Amino acid sequence: MFSVSHKTAFVVDHCPYMAESSRQLIECDMLTKSRSQGVIPLAPVSKSLWTCAIECSMEYCRILFDVYPTWKLVNYIVSDSEVHILNSWKQEDQNTHELMAALAAVGPPNPRQDPECCSVLHGLVAAVESLCKITEYQHESRTTLMDTADRVANRGRIICLTNAKSDTHVRMLEDCVLETIQEQNKRAAGSDRLMPIQQCELVLVHIYPQGEETLVSDRQKKELSSMLSSEVHSVRAGRYLASKLNVLVQQHFDLASTTITNIPMKEEQHANTSANYDVELLHHRDAHMEFIKSGDLHMAGSTSRDSGLKETVTLKWCTPRTNSVELHYCTGAYRISPVDVNSRPSSCLTNFLLNGRSVLLEQPRKSGSKVISHMLSSHGGEIFLHVLNSTRSTLEDPPSISEGCGGRVTDYRITDFGEFMRENRLTPFPDSMIDAAGRTPVERAKSQLERYTRYWPMIISQTTIFNMQAVVPLANLIVKDTLTDEDVLTCQKTVYNLVDMERKSDPLPISTVGSRGKGPKRDEQYRIMWNELETLVKAHVGTSERHQRVLECISACRSKPPEEEERKKRGRKREDKEDKTEKNGKDTEEKGWTTDSERLKGVMEREKDEQSECEIIKDSPDSPEPLNKKPRLATEEQQPPEKSKE
Amino acid sequence: MPTVVLLDSSLSMTRPVSVEGSEEFQRKNLAVHGLTMLFEHMATNYRLEFTSLVAFSSLWELLVPFSRDYNTLQEALNNLEDYDKTCLEAALQGVSNVVQQEWGTSCPCQVVLVTDGALGIGRGSLRHSLQTVKQRVDDKKFPLPFPFPSKLYVMCIANAEELQATDSMDNLEQLINLNGGEGQIYTMEGPLCLKSVQSMFGKLIDQAYSPFHAVLRCGNLTSDVQVFPRPEPVTIDEEVDPIPKTVQTDLEIVGFIEIGDISSPPVLSRHLVLPIAVSKEGDEIGTGATDDTEEETSTNQMAGKSPNFCVLLHGSLKVEGMVALVQLGPDWFGMLYSQADSKKKSNLMMSLFDPGSEPLPWLGRMSQLGPASDAAENPYGEDDSKSPFPIQPKHKRSYAQNVTVWIKASGLQTDVQKILRNAKKLPEKTQTFYKELNRLRKAALAFGFWELLKSVAELLERECTLLPDSAHPDAAFQLSHAAQQLKLASSGDSKYAAFEQNITPMLTDFSGGGGADRI
Repeated sequence: MFSVSHKTAFVVDHCPYMAESSRQLIECDMLTKSRSQGVIPLAPVSKSLWTCAIECSMEYCRILFDVYPTWKLVNYIVSDSEVHILNSWKQEDQNTHELMAALAAVGPPNPRQDPECCSVLHGLVAAVESLCKITEYQHESRTTLMDTADRVANRGRIICLTNAKSDTHVRMLEDCVLETIQEQNKRAAGSDRLMPIQQCELVLVHIYPQGEETLVSDRQKKELSSMLSSEVHSVRAGRYLASKLNVLVQQHFDLASTTITNIPMKEEQHANTSANYDVELLHHRDAHMEFIKSGDLHMAGSTSRDSGLKETVTLKWCTPRTNSVELHYCTGAYRISPVDVNSRPSSCLTNFLLNGRSVLLEQPRKSGSKVISHMLSSHGGEIFLHVLNSTRSTLEDPPSISEGCGGRVTDYRITDFGEFMRENRLTPFPDSMIDAAGRTPVERAKSQLERYTRYWPMIISQTTIFNMQAVVPLANLIVKDTLTDEDVLTCQKTVYNLVDMERKSDPLPISTVGSRGKGPKRDEQYRIMWNELETLVKAHVGTSERHQRVLECISACRSKPPEEEERKKRGRKREDKEDKTEKNGKDTEEKGWTTDSERLKGVMEREKDEQSECEIIKDSPDSPEPLNKKPRLATEEQQPPEKSKE
Repeated sequence: MPTVVLLDSSLSMTRPVSVEGSEEFQRKNLAVHGLTMLFEHMATNYRLEFTSLVAFSSLWELLVPFSRDYNTLQEALNNLEDYDKTCLEAALQGVSNVVQQEWGTSCPCQVVLVTDGALGIGRGSLRHSLQTVKQRVDDKKFPLPFPFPSKLYVMCIANAEELQATDSMDNLEQLINLNGGEGQIYTMEGPLCLKSVQSMFGKLIDQAYSPFHAVLRCGNLTSDVQVFPRPEPVTIDEEVDPIPKTVQTDLEIVGFIEIGDISSPPVLSRHLVLPIAVSKEGDEIGTGATDDTEEETSTNQMAGKSPNFCVLLHGSLKVEGMVALVQLGPDWFGMLYSQADSKKKSNLMMSLFDPGSEPLPWLGRMSQLGPASDAAENPYGEDDSKSPFPIQPKHKRSYAQNVTVWIKASGLQTDVQKILRNAKKLPEKTQTFYKELNRLRKAALAFGFWELLKSVAELLERECTLLPDSAHPDAAFQLSHAAQQLKLASSGDSKYAAFEQNITPMLTDFSGGGGADRI
């Protein structure tokens, strides 16, 4: 968890000699067609050693922050006659913008400064001191571990960009770092905010101008002590330095390179033609795990690039593209950083992805079928390389869900449960959001699910109230944790409305499954409905006093035997007429049921038998439109047939 | 998790076992008996497992490729012939090839090696292989550890004493160590007979092939389920506290998320969630698979007709295009969703995320996900047009913020050209001109590249002198103003070289009516 790459201290030499020119010339006065003749082009510019060091180290940081936005920290130190520490280990300091601002304040080295009092040593000492400082992550880890806090490791790396005089000078720098570590470790042992360094990697990069002979020799990594290892890279300024640091950032952070090839792009000049481009990306090397393990790295189209220092795996842009509603079987997702971030092909690709589109990538193979192995996709402004499973699945040809338990049941409340799922969608809450009872958001989500499911019949023929529009307002409210007086009023209105329906003897959507003939009598239907409603409300009666009031209202209002007697007498005459309306009602309702059953069919791919047994009336025709039945239900009714085609 | 049965069919397997009864057994018969028991168990309780059968002696042969047809496997087992000497290394290499060809290198596999523990002599013997294991060149490496995640179970048709008498036990232990300690050696207890071979294979079944039963829960709605393949414990690669995490048998749904929002997340493994009916005695009566015996059919039909929460959940997830987030243990989550195969059969599937508090950066911390209804404002919008996901990181990545990189000369040249292009279109392009100019200025200041500022200033001055007569008078003013500001910045004077400061367009008599404010 706290490996050497947790902390990286950059030490950049700011002494007068770094102001020297790198002697790499850049023509910035490009001749254009419209240029009138006789104009003498401006002299090319050249970067100083300092500028080369800064821009390459910034590039190192850019790639690092893109791929690891957290946990991998940089402390940037500039050294001349004194030490300039440009940022801290704090996570909020870890971005290139802050560093650039701080570097601008430091400015280029002053060639007229007295070279005698300037040295990169100050910076190296500061870097060691800094590595002893505890990071937020180390602190957090130590706090949670308590007794075993000493198991939290403190390791780090120092990357020193300098211009050394000789091999002896390099050895002097190494000795100084070693001595400082020993010194600082003694100090750190007695402090809470400091930690002794267990392991430190020193990477010395000697930068010299182009066209000069180097005075310092390259040296492989060598253990100077159990705590310190050191390596020396002697590099010419300019693009050699850039590619060296690019290789280093890959080594230091386990990165690998993928080149996306065959990216179709419109030509700038001729909008109707398109050419194919390549873009190189860096990412964690685990994205290539399958190639590495199978020994396919070379077969997969990996080639050596540029200086022969790095390898890249080539993957082909693949059409057709994929859409975001498809759930791919993805075994890993790794953040990427383009190698050449603001080249036109790179920014074209990244903008395409940032706009929310995804691209499948294909492994180029000499022969055989095409294998899609990766996908590029962005989430919240970050681009990830997804690794897709491209081998045979062990789960192929499973039994269909319709063949298993519950698979023969046809009238699941699929739409209602869909609505339930929408109501129980999750959303992120800020870290401090803990409610009065000390519950985290996810605990609240669970307790909401518990409340919402206290009474939840799974099939249409098991319920009457959930097939009635008239009950919806109450059913939506009663599951809530708290009710307002207004909510109670709405529930009471719902109950009065039901009483009214009963008085008018409106038909109810009672299931007739399993029973012959017309099913239960109207009185019996209402008795069943009231009982079910009571069951629902009773399940929530303990929640609050207001929930209790809803139950009291039902008990007070629900049909009582004397009233029933009375109504029977009055009702005789109306019954014929009613039967007619009931039939009409049934017809319209049956249509609704048919679409519903079609959806079920689509969902469960099942045979048609047994369906005719169910006769469901979704609703009473003259029940009023409920207050908060959502309008989106209507649109939803139209969508499902399309979805179920999948 | 597919299984390869690697069966020793060398001559030593035909050694008779002394039994007091009338029948005389060979070790091979005991091995076949044990494997028959394993196959029968899989056919009833683990029938979605793919198993292949490889026989080996000095050569190896794939008798049955990966299959769920346990009759074929059994048949091949019954018709096994006897061959020459044992040569395990080649056989293990064979297993490695067979698995990789079929499943690649990321699919975990179980290898069941059945042998009498006589591991050969001389070249090709396991002893010889292990002695030379460190002296291999790249293309002749020892096949262990397998390149895919694996468990190696060694079933010895011999008892421990017998194996310890020679170096067989040591060699087998070394084999397991070579496989990263992933695996186990089973030996027979007591006399070599049918009973003790049964007990040995019984232990293997308990260890590696016991079905994973759990309760899927969404509030008060529940269903008994079998999770296949069974989820194995996961150890997080952390140095501080590596304790393997196991999936709990109570799978609790915490809420729902749209497929578009969860967006093809990386997962550790995928599993089928099959509803099972549990009878009163607690026996399982069918996992919803096909090919039932007649007795089972009637009970299965009964189970098919009683409503099951899994089917409801699956149907709604499919229709709505959503997934259910499910808690697998402390700080460990997964998702349930509907998965359709090529034959349009669809199923409830569960994928496991990496253990930890924040497996998916675009969802944030899992413990901070709460009911949308608790939010002050509906995060999905009244008409479902919005979404709280993905979570935006605090800082933009380099490719999303127009950073300046001049490592390649072309990068610098493009930036200078952009400024010149806009300079020619002043005053219409005043805003873009200054935007590009300031971008270059900031980078030059940060990189300590003052020489560039001077150069660009000169370029602008020259542009000024080259302006055609028809040029807008404002153009000349802006160009010389910009050039002057760049020169001041290149002096390093803190008054003019502050990083956060920008060069603003010069206010001229023309600029009010010009295009300066319009863009």
